[in-house]
Amino acid sequence: MIQALVVVVWIALAALAVFGIATTASNRPPGRPHKIVTSVVVALLLVQAMIAAVRVFGGVQLPESTTFLIYLVVSVCVLPIGLQFATAEPTRWGGAVLAVAAIATGVVVWRLQDLWVVGGA
Amino acid sequence: MRETAARATSSGPGRVLIAVYAIFALSATARATVQIATKFTEAPLAYLLSALAGVVYIVATIGLAGHGPGYRRLAWAAVGFELVGVLVVGTLTVLDTADFPDDTVWSVFGRGYGFVPLVLPIVGLAWLHWTRAPR
Repeated sequence: MIQALVVVVWIALAALAVFGIATTASNRPPGRPHKIVTSVVVALLLVQAMIAAVRVFGGVQLPESTTFLIYLVVSVCVLPIGLQFATAEPTRWGGAVLAVAAIATGVVVWRLQDLWVVGGA
Repeated sequence: MRETAARATSSGPGRVLIAVYAIFALSATARATVQIATKFTEAPLAYLLSALAGVVYIVATIGLAGHGPGYRRLAWAAVGFELVGVLVVGTLTVLDTADFPDDTVWSVFGRGYGFVPLVLPIVGLAWLHWTRAPR
């Protein structure tokens, strides 16, 4: 894990959550902006996951590497599924669904950060 | 939609509720699976309880997401059980921590999960009540 990237990911997830709640509050159904914003955040998560996976498979020793890799996969998957579920019914609540997915992903990234205890690296 | 029919629990704000339930179903089940697979003998009761909580969240998610009176009954049962579970386990863990060496989702009223496990069944029951068929 790269500390600076984790911070960027967290800020992006927080922004997505706020955006989702804002569109629910202003009675706007999910649409193109939601898809674009979510895609950007998922792209960041993908970059983070690929860097971390390369380092784990490249020899970085973690005490719970299996759990770490499962969390890594989950961190990328939650938002696309959430976006699908949010846009399936065009009501104001789609944004709040996205916010829930973003917050859950934030918790997953926090767990990833916790599990990344490397001797030195 | 007729006036006498119950409203779908999977529509509108219900979708937010289902999203939260689905996330808890996933995390509680995954956690219990890892606990049981890797260190079951350390705290069998707590890990079995984790697994039970996971199953309850899965059933509640299915009940809320489905349509019709059968799914609604399923949701009532699962969410009701969930409330009883979090209250009983929460109280037991506050009174005596010795029997629960490892945390479950419901330990100390779900403190490890920001007390969401305590709030969730209350919101769930309120939503089932709110969307029920008017008499």
